[in-house]
Amino acid sequence: MEVLVAQIFNGLSIGSIYVLLVTGFNLLLLVAMIIHFSFPVVVVFSMYMAWITLQITGGNVLLSVLASVVSAILINMATAPLFQHIMKKRGSVDINATMVISMGIGMVITDYLSHNLNHGFPIAFPDNFTGAGKGALVNLGLIHISFGQILTLGVGIVAVLGLFWILYKTKHGRAFRAIAENPDGAKLVGIPLLKTGLLSYALTGLLGGVTAVLMAILLGSASPGLGDQLGHKVLAVSIIAGLGNLHGGLVIGLLLGIVEAVIQGYWAGSWSNAVAFGIMLVAILVKPKGIFGTKL
Amino acid sequence: MSLTLFYFLGIAAIYILMSWAIYIPYRMGQLHFMTVANMAISAYFAAVATLSWGWPFWLVLIAGTLLGALIGWIASFAIGDAPCFAVVIVGFTLIYLTKTIIENTEALGGPLGIFSIPKIIEGTSAANRHVILIIVYLLVLLVGYLIYRMDHSRLGRAASSIFIDRELATTFGVNVKKMGMFLQTFGSAIGGMSGVMYLFIMRAISPNHFTFHLIGVCMTMLFVGGYTTQWGVLIAAPLLWGIPLILPESVQSWKIVIYGVLLISVLVVKPEGFITRPFLSKISHRIQKILFKKVEDKI
Amino acid sequence: MGQNDSLLMVNNLEVSYGHVNALKGVSMNIRKGEIVVLIGANGAGKTTLMESILGVNQPKGGSISFKGKDITNSPVDRNVRSGIFLVPEGRGVFATLTVLDNLLLGAHHNLKQASDKLKLVFDAFPVLGERKEQVAGTLSGGERQMLAIARALMSDPEMILVDEPSIGLAPIIVNDIFEILGKLNREGYTILLSEQNVYKALKLAHRGYVLETGHIIKEGSAGDLLSDPSIVEAYLGA
Repeated sequence: MEVLVAQIFNGLSIGSIYVLLVTGFNLLLLVAMIIHFSFPVVVVFSMYMAWITLQITGGNVLLSVLASVVSAILINMATAPLFQHIMKKRGSVDINATMVISMGIGMVITDYLSHNLNHGFPIAFPDNFTGAGKGALVNLGLIHISFGQILTLGVGIVAVLGLFWILYKTKHGRAFRAIAENPDGAKLVGIPLLKTGLLSYALTGLLGGVTAVLMAILLGSASPGLGDQLGHKVLAVSIIAGLGNLHGGLVIGLLLGIVEAVIQGYWAGSWSNAVAFGIMLVAILVKPKGIFGTKL
Repeated sequence: MSLTLFYFLGIAAIYILMSWAIYIPYRMGQLHFMTVANMAISAYFAAVATLSWGWPFWLVLIAGTLLGALIGWIASFAIGDAPCFAVVIVGFTLIYLTKTIIENTEALGGPLGIFSIPKIIEGTSAANRHVILIIVYLLVLLVGYLIYRMDHSRLGRAASSIFIDRELATTFGVNVKKMGMFLQTFGSAIGGMSGVMYLFIMRAISPNHFTFHLIGVCMTMLFVGGYTTQWGVLIAAPLLWGIPLILPESVQSWKIVIYGVLLISVLVVKPEGFITRPFLSKISHRIQKILFKKVEDKI
Repeated sequence: MGQNDSLLMVNNLEVSYGHVNALKGVSMNIRKGEIVVLIGANGAGKTTLMESILGVNQPKGGSISFKGKDITNSPVDRNVRSGIFLVPEGRGVFATLTVLDNLLLGAHHNLKQASDKLKLVFDAFPVLGERKEQVAGTLSGGERQMLAIARALMSDPEMILVDEPSIGLAPIIVNDIFEILGKLNREGYTILLSEQNVYKALKLAHRGYVLETGHIIKEGSAGDLLSDPSIVEAYLGA
């Protein structure tokens, strides 16, 4: 029983990461109108940027966080014109082409990480960064809740709340929601689609950079293949929740984290991945358009 | 024949087949990455069947192809008419599942894989290689012919209409689901076939051979070559596979990055690829003109 | 009010969608303070013309100028900032956003004045004030039309384009809407209106243009058009 509770806490932390990634993905889908499943690859790249900054500055946490956020925003803004260029040609090329461009970007970044950064070996974050040195903050029998887990959950909650605040209480958030509901209608009332789309790239970059830091703290390490793996999980989660469904993404993201953690608590090896993917496969086969309904 | 030439020709054929396997369902707009899972599953099936059950090569080839077709067919009941992103993620998850199961199963060699696949004929290794090349290129011819027939039939036209506008195609009486089931089954069959041939070319397999890089490379070949005709793959696959082999080592290690950049560039600059239908009809007109001139000159 | 100042000039406008020529040399002149109505059957090109003025389409030929400046290739958001706003066909309100959010979207380029504008709008349309936290999808057709017009007012426009406001509305509601448009015009807004309900529109407007398959075939004062037998036959039949 204690194992179960412990693993549920674990699952909530990892689930928060999934939620953040899925939300970023959904934002790009709704406002920039692209399927960017290599978005998690960009996030992993930011993790590497944070790690490099740690190496260069001799352990400066603040600069690393900054490096992560800035690199995520920069990459997003740099790739935005690629996506927007093919969006303009809508008619003969559709949203699936954005998926292929996203794949291309993922290929380039992942392979670059495999060759050039740390010679392709996984990177590890030092204890003072991950807070692992602080030991478990909460100890209840078998339940150890680390500083990293609490931070991830906390920042995750703040980030999601912040995002919803932006969406519902600011001018640009309103524009985002209008575009999400009806891009043509939004254009007719004078909302600049391309400029607002660019904003969503920047915002998602910010979200991604923060998520990268949280992942560094929670996981303590990263490898080139991590981005792909996360990307596929994020795509699966958002499809099951319904593409573009922000609330659904919240639920399913957390659920996936918990399911994975619970499985890992009872079976060793990478079976947790296999089971998670197996469940997702069944869910998509049963309901290809998503459980909560899709935007597309 | 040197080993290098053998591997170049053999793997080129595999790339042609795998890229065609993705080309076929993409005719109606679906990226059917499950074909890579089909390749892995049939390759491992072939290994087990050959080593443990003693099946002869031709039986393994047919069974492997049918296995691919079966899996593709069953899945297509659910995703035959699904939106592209759903087909993509089903493909990805099946690949992950397959790899994870293989890696964790001792009987399948785990992460190290299976070795010592026997020759398919009695005789020297060199003769074996010749036979394998002949077989795989016969398969390329066969598949190419089948695709040609399909493309130039009402099936091909129906697929194109679905690609352009799915709803409009339905009003013409095109059955999207049936089309999807057919194309996905066809593509998966070729995936299975490629897996078996790959096994006998390499005479060893491991989970590392079936990566998402393979998807990326096939996509690059398909899109750079041109996804609206089958000839794009035929030209792009050997070129994109062969050219890196003769480049210096330092450039070769950037292969995937170069592919990625190529893929993105093509989509932005020339989305339909290099070999497009207008390009083909221009060429065929030129050829016809030359032929007519020759006939005229003779008269 | 300077009735003779030209606010919007359209000169020989040509607009195509692919190979379809939707507008084939349309010319129009709208003066400040007028209500001008665009009459025509479905498919005549009314919406295309309005959207082209707004900046949605890239014209193939001809020109558009607003307040003396050329806006032929100007994008929508720039034109909205200059003082043009469209009330789209079918209202175009965002059903999943609240009434308040819909209104604030109208003031997207000009949020500083938003709270003043909101007061004006809620005075003019009290029902919108009552429902301001409600999601727009729950409004009736007439309320949505008012919302769409109110949203236009939030942008502080000089010229309002109204595309077929009477579609899908009960006759009583249509009367209310036309009354509102008349009132707005008297307060100084220039209005270009496209309508299938020709009688009511001509009763409201100062002048009209008749559009048929991409050409202007007639123009004149509202009174003249109302008594023109060919117009009566084509558009004012049973």
